Amino acid sequence: MFLAVANPLNSSELIFPTLEVIHIVGFAVLVGTIALVDFRLLNLGMRRQKVAELAQDLAPWTLIGLTMVLLSGPLMFSSDPDMYYLNRSFQVKMVLLLLAIVFQYTIHRKATKSEGQPFRQKLVACVSMALWTGVVFGGIFIGFV
Amino acid sequence: MSLLSIAQWAQATDFFTAIRGSWDVYPIIMSSHLAGIALFGGTILATDLRLLGVALGKRPVADVVGQLRPLKHLGLTIVVICGILMLGSKAEEYYYNIFFRAKMTILALIVIHALVFRPSVYSRAAEFDRTGVIPGRAKLAACLSLLLWTSMVICGRGIGYIEPPLDKIHAQGSAPATTTAPYGHGSVTARF
Repeated sequence: MFLAVANPLNSSELIFPTLEVIHIVGFAVLVGTIALVDFRLLNLGMRRQKVAELAQDLAPWTLIGLTMVLLSGPLMFSSDPDMYYLNRSFQVKMVLLLLAIVFQYTIHRKATKSEGQPFRQKLVACVSMALWTGVVFGGIFIGFV
Repeated sequence: MSLLSIAQWAQATDFFTAIRGSWDVYPIIMSSHLAGIALFGGTILATDLRLLGVALGKRPVADVVGQLRPLKHLGLTIVVICGILMLGSKAEEYYYNIFFRAKMTILALIVIHALVFRPSVYSRAAEFDRTGVIPGRAKLAACLSLLLWTSMVICGRGIGYIEPPLDKIHAQGSAPATTTAPYGHGSVTARF
């Protein structure tokens, strides 16, 4: 049963923007580190490193970014759940986010460990970038639809 | 010609009026700005963390700094182009926006940071690899860089929380009224 208590998040006007900043910095860390691995998979950057090595080195930072967005995001959601729940852009974003996270820790991870499958690796990188870019667009459009 | 009149002229051009009038072009630019920030931020973070010795430790500093530079420039280019498009379409509002002014001040500090630390740190990474020691000034540069860029994000997000009362400003006659198209559905106060 839900109790009708006021969400303390809505008691200060500084809390929401603070969460937003944590969310932005978090996704920059999350998506930025994934993008670096994707550019490596595409052979467009960091070419002197092995894919597996780069992916392994950046993995903890990807996880830090993911933790930041997954902590700040639901708190932002809780400030106005009805609005977010019904927002079409939010719905699309959640689907893309789920796909992106699952993709990241299954197919993407596997592709970074298997050397010598250049076409497959490039395809994985493109899908990864498309998914994460989609998440960013979904996030911004929440405020505009 | 004052900065304000340039701002008013810019946003009254057909190009920027069209961006402002469309409901979806502005958020598309904003999303691209943010996607660029992710790429740019990722390269900055990796570079700075390497200088601080907490990430990519097995790779030579020169390798990390040098290899990330093209990607960093790609991210920066996306961010700057999208930023200018957003600025132009609502130039007068941005002119009065305190967070935008703060953001431009921080940007100036970032330019100074680059002028100071590029010759003394970022271009001398190979030296750190030879000696095996990352000097204090390199760590200072990395910390300042992370601090400045985080401040950029804070001010950038802050811009959306302020809507300068242009109607009142215009009514007072302190600035000549401009003919601008009505804003699209995406007001700058939009949450995301």
